[in-house]
Amino acid sequence: MEIRLLRIDSRLLHGQVTTNWAKVTKVNRILVVSDSVAQDRIRLTLLVQASPPGIKVNVVTIEKMIRIYHDIRFNGIKVMILVEEPVDAKRLIEGGIKVDSVNIGAISFDKTKVMVSDAVAVNTNDISAFGWIHNKGIKLDVRKVSGDNSKDLWHSLLEKKLV
Amino acid sequence: MTRREKILDYLASHGTGVGNAVTTSQVAERLSIFRSNVSKELNLLVRKGIVNKQAGRPVRYWMNTNEKNKDSDLEVKHPKETFSHPVERDFSTTTPKIVAFDEMIGNHDSLRNQVEQAKAALLYPPRGLNTLIIGPTGSGKTYFANTMYRFAIKSEVLLKKKFITFNCADYAHNPQLLMSHLFGYVKGAFTGANEDKDGLIQQADGGMLFLDEVHRLPPEGQEMIFYFMDHGIYSRLGETAKVHQADVRLVCATTENPESSLLQTFVRRIPIIIQLPTFEQRTAREKIKLLEQLLTLEANRIQRDICLNEDVVQALIGSVTYGNVGQLKSNVQLVCAQGFLNNMQNENEIRLKFDQLPPNVKDGLSHLANDRHELSEITRLLETKMIIKPSAQKEYIESDSYELPYNLYEIIGDKAALLKDEGLDKGAINNFIMTDINLHLKSFYSKRKLNAAEDRLNEIVDQEVIKLTKKIQKFLVEEEAYPARDNFIYAMSLHISSFVKRVQSGKPLRQISSDLISMVHDYPAELEVAQKVKVIIEESYQFPIPESEVYYMAILLVSLKSEPKAGMVGIVVAAHGKSTASSMVQVVTQLLSVENITSYDMPLEMSPKIAFDGIAEEVRKINQGNGVLLLVDMGSLSTFSSKLTEKTQVEVRTIDMVTTAMILEAARKTALIDSDLTTVYRELREFAGYSRAAERVEIKKQPSSEKNSKKEKVIVAVCSTGVGTARKIKELLDEILIDNLIDDIKVLPVSVVQMKQEMKKIKKNQRIVATTGIINPDISAPFIPLKQLLQDGGKSLIELIENMDQSQGQKIEFEYSDSITEEMAQKYLEQYFTFLNPKKITNVLWKYCDFVDRRVQMKLTNTFRISLIMHLAGAIERVLMGSKMTVSTQEISNIQKTPIYKVIIKANEMLQEILDIKLGENETYYVVQLFNTELKK
Repeated sequence: MEIRLLRIDSRLLHGQVTTNWAKVTKVNRILVVSDSVAQDRIRLTLLVQASPPGIKVNVVTIEKMIRIYHDIRFNGIKVMILVEEPVDAKRLIEGGIKVDSVNIGAISFDKTKVMVSDAVAVNTNDISAFGWIHNKGIKLDVRKVSGDNSKDLWHSLLEKKLV
Repeated sequence: MTRREKILDYLASHGTGVGNAVTTSQVAERLSIFRSNVSKELNLLVRKGIVNKQAGRPVRYWMNTNEKNKDSDLEVKHPKETFSHPVERDFSTTTPKIVAFDEMIGNHDSLRNQVEQAKAALLYPPRGLNTLIIGPTGSGKTYFANTMYRFAIKSEVLLKKKFITFNCADYAHNPQLLMSHLFGYVKGAFTGANEDKDGLIQQADGGMLFLDEVHRLPPEGQEMIFYFMDHGIYSRLGETAKVHQADVRLVCATTENPESSLLQTFVRRIPIIIQLPTFEQRTAREKIKLLEQLLTLEANRIQRDICLNEDVVQALIGSVTYGNVGQLKSNVQLVCAQGFLNNMQNENEIRLKFDQLPPNVKDGLSHLANDRHELSEITRLLETKMIIKPSAQKEYIESDSYELPYNLYEIIGDKAALLKDEGLDKGAINNFIMTDINLHLKSFYSKRKLNAAEDRLNEIVDQEVIKLTKKIQKFLVEEEAYPARDNFIYAMSLHISSFVKRVQSGKPLRQISSDLISMVHDYPAELEVAQKVKVIIEESYQFPIPESEVYYMAILLVSLKSEPKAGMVGIVVAAHGKSTASSMVQVVTQLLSVENITSYDMPLEMSPKIAFDGIAEEVRKINQGNGVLLLVDMGSLSTFSSKLTEKTQVEVRTIDMVTTAMILEAARKTALIDSDLTTVYRELREFAGYSRAAERVEIKKQPSSEKNSKKEKVIVAVCSTGVGTARKIKELLDEILIDNLIDDIKVLPVSVVQMKQEMKKIKKNQRIVATTGIINPDISAPFIPLKQLLQDGGKSLIELIENMDQSQGQKIEFEYSDSITEEMAQKYLEQYFTFLNPKKITNVLWKYCDFVDRRVQMKLTNTFRISLIMHLAGAIERVLMGSKMTVSTQEISNIQKTPIYKVIIKANEMLQEILDIKLGENETYYVVQLFNTELKK
């Protein structure tokens, strides 16, 4: 299994943004990795129906994602992974999934968080997950669509004195 | 020379005056025209004043000198004795008094409000209000609209006496043609438009336009009609500006449920909604009146009295299942045609006898008898004999779809004469003509889709079972004189189907309780018949039927015969979605004609408290003292049982599965006499569907003990040898599994030869989740035939596996349940957006969707709407934040050519008006692309 993009986006698969990424990265499969969505039939149905034409979408749990990543039977698949939260990305990387950068689209705001850029909000859990990923030498690339200028989230965190 | 002219000629040759009068028989013999036709023509001529007649038997006719040249003029000469063929509705000249709502049956009763509404709509200053008439098939929408028109004429609120009717379904497949009919076109608007042409709207200027089946109007037509309603101006096809003006009263009609999404816009935009009652909802008195009126129409046509006994009246009233007054009209026509044929020799009257009625009308009597209250109410109002005389009043016959397009009596008469000439005897003639009448009826039936119920049954039960059941029915009717009618087919085929299913799935057979045995012994006749039925089933399936089934069958026969009303277990179906529960219940009620069932629809946004109270209300209503079975679609509701019992004092049991098959089974089980809640509940829990197709949906999670779930999951593929083909199937299955990222299920090929032993071995250490292959190994796990596997590329297999893993197996069907509302979108916005106020923005974005929906070719699905709303909210937030999306100029110029671009720009302008937020070119690009992506699907 070839991971062409690992993306953090609270809205997971949504609209044209996902289609744009799928096109650019030339994947043939989108995997939404989320323990919560896997349990939620409404969101699951919505996600699967919102999938771009010609690309299959599956929703799997984190545990299953790690399992099938290492399973040679699934070798031919080119994948874009969507997760909701930095912690999920961290767990995947911990589980052995190899990427050299993590794309960050949007992380929605709530009262525990602070905004670091126009679309990214973080809380302490997120910061520590990002820290862990950064220490692995993996780039934290903030871009909504592929044509955006890449911004390094680590820089932003440093600027805001959050790390 | 027409028949009429021949007769006139003959009369003229005899000269005028009573002295030269001739009898019908004389004319008939002389001109070799069938006697009843002569009689009819003569009566017609009398009414026109061309011919005079002398009372007394036999009646004599002679030519009226003064009126000789007055021919095709249908003006009524003697209003007391009028003629009632379909007439041109030109009310301006002929009728002295216009009959409007005063003559409408039920205008003081079940149509009282409707009539008031209609009057108000027409009289409302300055130009009245547009009206939408809603009612089921045959409830009289066209008749009502016609009456509204007459009332408008009478009240002098119309400028011109014009009533234009247009059925939107006629051109529904060709929106352009429809629009050109309605609005007209200008020269060059399309190929073949060689000159300007006015549409119906212009023709109706100053009068009334009746749009039937208005829900079939295409979106662009709706938009134009609404615009026209609001502003009174419109454009013809090919014109850009709306320059034409017309003053038109619009009356629309539809059979759609007002709740349906199709009608939403209409219901919102049309101020007066008139809901017509079903025939069922009419009072007993009205039902009889309606029947009398319809019979009078026929009596007028044949110019004879129609005599019918009480039981025929009851059968006719009961024969209306769901076609309402329209169906009654058809049945009356059929029965009268038949009566006419049987009484051809009788000049004065025709008699309708119960045992001569066609079976579907005969069934009406037992239908009616099911409702004791209704039956007694109707019987109270009836004399033992009803005599309908040709009416003295002018009747308006509406040219509606229930009217036969020709004069049936004339055809019968002509045909009988023809056959008689051929030398056929009376019996043979009657046979021939009855076949004809039945053919006419059949074409009506298939047109009206009265067979829909049986088609649905075909979906649920295997064709073979239906065939077998029909065979049994024939046997019962012909050899046992057992009254097995239409509901027998449904009840019996479902019973056989579920029994066969049970045997095939290897489940233990039902235990016979001693109660059951002692009860059946009270019905020795049925027990004996059941034994015979058992033999028929055994012959068909080639396996022995256990004795216990005979008892059940006997009970079924007893139940079908007596159909007791009191003490049945009630059923309440509650499901999420605006009409999920009610539509399923409707199907079941239609199939089994049961009344112990009701539904409760729960839109997603409904609070549990309201749902609970609503369900409690339904439980109370349906309870007949024997407890209520509650079928629900989601687990959370299954906890309601005890609370419901507490609140309603009615014993309630809940089954957390709602499928049409399940409801059918529940309705069927509760319809058996002496069935009690506990038994029904227990049996339903084991119910596994009627056919394989249904099985898929209904697989319940196996009670997975700790040990069971730890076992490795396998799919067993049965092949002839276990090698060769087996390997192929295994490869195929593996591929399907991998494609769906299923890594924890193994495929095991098994040879059909050692199947039984192999299965046992496998079961010990592994858990069989499904079987497939060339034959069904008949184990408890579901079986998917190889053919199906190949046809759907494993879709059914995957669904099965996914449903097994989900504790709640119901797939959410947004598009069918229509339960996605603005609130749902709002919920999602709340979750994901930081700066927007979802409460305020959702409605605006919903409007945006509506706006676009009306202007693009594609239909916006609910899922897509949510997707679009989410995206738009994101776009608005980005604008607010000053954060830009990246797009190249090339990409932007590419999409500017697409047709959707213009619509989106318009929609964005609307958004800007409301929110004062402008979506830039870049954002527009992504919105347009979102549509283009959706279009590709």
